[in-house]
Amino acid sequence: MASTRVLARLAVRRTAVRPAGFTRGFASVTDTKAREPISKLGETINPSRPVVPESKTSTVKEPAPAQEAKTKTFHIYRWNPDEPTSKPRMQSYTLDLNKTGPMMLDALIRIKNETDPTLTFRRSCREGICGSCAMNIDGVNTLACLCRIPTDTTQESRIYPLPHMYVVKDLVPDMTLFYKQYRSVKPYLQRTTPAPDGREYRQSKEERKKLDGLYECILCACCSTSCPSYWWNQEEYLGPAVLLQSYRWLADSRDEKTAERQDGLNNSMSLYRCHTILNCSRTCPKGLNPALAIAEIKKSMAFT
Amino acid sequence: MASIVHPGLLRQSFASPAASKRVFSTFTHQSTPLAQQIRPAFARSTIPKSTRIASFHATQRQQILPPLPQKIQGTANDPVEVPTSSPAHGSYHWSFERVVSAGLVPLTIAPFAAGSLNPVTDSILCALLVIHSHMGFDACIVDYFPKQRVPKTRLAADWALRIGTVALGIGLYSFETNDVGITELIAKLWHA
Amino acid sequence: MSSMRVFQVGLRRAAAPAFRGNAAGRMVQRRFAATNTISQDSAAELLNKQRRLRPVSPHLNIYQPQITWYASGLHRISGVILSGGLYLFGFAYLAAPALGWHMESTSLIAAVGAWPAWAKVSAKFGIAMPFFFHSLNGVRHLVQDFGIGFAKKTVMQTGWTVVGLTVAGSLYYSFIG
Repeated sequence: MASTRVLARLAVRRTAVRPAGFTRGFASVTDTKAREPISKLGETINPSRPVVPESKTSTVKEPAPAQEAKTKTFHIYRWNPDEPTSKPRMQSYTLDLNKTGPMMLDALIRIKNETDPTLTFRRSCREGICGSCAMNIDGVNTLACLCRIPTDTTQESRIYPLPHMYVVKDLVPDMTLFYKQYRSVKPYLQRTTPAPDGREYRQSKEERKKLDGLYECILCACCSTSCPSYWWNQEEYLGPAVLLQSYRWLADSRDEKTAERQDGLNNSMSLYRCHTILNCSRTCPKGLNPALAIAEIKKSMAFT
Repeated sequence: MASIVHPGLLRQSFASPAASKRVFSTFTHQSTPLAQQIRPAFARSTIPKSTRIASFHATQRQQILPPLPQKIQGTANDPVEVPTSSPAHGSYHWSFERVVSAGLVPLTIAPFAAGSLNPVTDSILCALLVIHSHMGFDACIVDYFPKQRVPKTRLAADWALRIGTVALGIGLYSFETNDVGITELIAKLWHA
Repeated sequence: MSSMRVFQVGLRRAAAPAFRGNAAGRMVQRRFAATNTISQDSAAELLNKQRRLRPVSPHLNIYQPQITWYASGLHRISGVILSGGLYLFGFAYLAAPALGWHMESTSLIAAVGAWPAWAKVSAKFGIAMPFFFHSLNGVRHLVQDFGIGFAKKTVMQTGWTVVGLTVAGSLYYSFIG
């Protein structure tokens, strides 16, 4: 009897019979009780209800037709890894700005939804806090979600991936090296002594103030990829974003490994490939100042 | 099915059952009439008339410092190697460079005020200019000839610069000792 | 009993592949791309193979011309012009006795004095431009090394000030001074 029960259970389990790939389901509702109040509500209300006459309701008008379509052309960098030998190309799309949201990301999403589903780009939060949609728009690195579409329709917009990065597909650059570099500056609090009161590491207001303008960085890599030094030497030079993060921990009054952190930067490549070009501060979509952070690092290390 | 496929594509897939197999492919084929005959309806629908394709040439035409194919050491979770600390190439080098540059400022302004310099300050200016030029060229070499990309060119450039700087030093020394001095020469050439 | 169920289920599946015997009304997502699992090592190998084929996104040609990086680039170029001139002069002076050139100051001044006026002015301008730009921008950089003048607006103002003073200074010294 027991063995037959086991067999029966096996038979019911789909995986025992069918390849796992076909059992992928989604959005199944098992809790049907949640709907009960509505069905009960249906019983209490009279099904034959009188219709509200049109004289008592407002009129839903047809949306005003566009007097003139504001057609803008977008040239977008395309490269498909499925055809690895083909050259990257610029593809043009035209959109009616009257039917598009105000931001570049809206335009990209609209192109992907309505014109070309093969267009590939990263996006997530659409409000400038995730840093996914960093790209080069009209020659400047910025977040597509924070960049307004220029309403001048005679100007054609050009969208490229972040400059001098290896392209995974279309507007998606490979950020592996960037993240590996970020990891190398040990972006976490390093301390050996316990807190004096045994509870938490306290800071004065002045000490905390030093971290303003540093902790807001979202690591979108706009600044690093705008830096010509980073273009030529990204294998060894850390780049503005990572150096800003490094300074965030150098400037932290609670961190006790300041000397070790400085030693890690004290060579010809990691920090000193910065030539104060200032593209980083110019382009930062969050309004931070990586160049100033790097200058502060250099200053603090000047005679050590 | 309908929820995961764009309505427009669904229409296309009704028209041509073969298209559904290509829904998740990222290929978009171009041109050749034969290919147009056999390629799926979906691919055709992705290139409407409002879009046109231009081959991208900008990086091909002007290859400045062509990068090597991408190579990542270790996994995505390993940090990049932190170089060993060498202040002589790092902070000391930077500070020395600034001190030399700052020293050049008064020595550059003085001839404008006085016409030319006396032999001692003139030779100091010459020495600082040699150091400053050497460091400037060295920065160019480090920037544009990375060791792992062009090791031989880097080595050649490094030695060419060292030899050149020594030659310049000897040349300027003999000029300073045998002739009128660099600021005097420039001042006279300017009004020649 | 159990064998009966297995048979029933199998029969239902065979008869109606589209229905897949989904008594619970679950939606089934079908994937048309064929997938197969591979080991971590071979996945890394595949990724590295793909990485080698990746293009580098355009950079120098597409980045917007801005005073920040244009000034920095010009700073380096002007420095190379000035230092290169100095190196060439040094080499020439060193090699002059062997090659029979006359690099003494008197003969140089006499040679330049014989040039036509336009050649003198353009030569002066060609030296004064990089000299003033490199000097003034160098001072700007020295100030910045103290952590001063990093606000976006200040950077642009100082940058354009340097450009303006360069043009004014080199025009003055090539035509009047």
